[in-house]
Amino acid sequence: MSNKVAIIASNGGLFDAYKVFNIATAAAATEKEVAIFFTFEGLNLIHKQGMHALPMPAGAEHYAEGFAKANVPAIPQLVEMAQELGVKFIACQMTMDVMGLTTDDFVEGIEVGGAVTFLEFAKDAAPSLTF
Amino acid sequence: MKSNLQLDAKGLSCPMPIVKTKKAIDTLASGEILEVQVTDKGALADIPAWVKAGGHAILDKSEDAGVITFFIQKA
Repeated sequence: MSNKVAIIASNGGLFDAYKVFNIATAAAATEKEVAIFFTFEGLNLIHKQGMHALPMPAGAEHYAEGFAKANVPAIPQLVEMAQELGVKFIACQMTMDVMGLTTDDFVEGIEVGGAVTFLEFAKDAAPSLTF
Repeated sequence: MKSNLQLDAKGLSCPMPIVKTKKAIDTLASGEILEVQVTDKGALADIPAWVKAGGHAILDKSEDAGVITFFIQKA
């Protein structure tokens, strides 16, 4: 049985962030080795400023109240929790170059890599998830 | 039932009850018992799944006025 969970985060909205970090922290808390590959808009999720103001999908703004009522943790809190639990963050070098971003734009402790970095980790992971 | 440690995870939603439970159980020795209180209905299925994944054991589960209490013995 694989003890690895591989996640690709390729979208940059608030809902996407919850999908990614809830699965990642839950997996890490269940003694899984977890890596997330952040690519394209997914880079927003670990962007120092961006992660504090992730957009809701158009037309879904009314869920803000539900988020508050359900006492859902804020994304920066989940990011910190994920890192504390040992989740590895890999930022996509190619997307960073395209967007003119450097490691300084992101939370501390990330790795930068290409597709092969992720594929090497993911080759014996189960499940592999894409958000 | 007696426990070695109590964890109040009431009012927290997924994935925090699991994350807090993991952190609490890490502080215990094998055979010791953690008492966890949650109000998140998702935890009703998640805590047993997490316990199974870690090889721990649920000694008791009860529900009272929306508060679910688990007694978990560390593997």
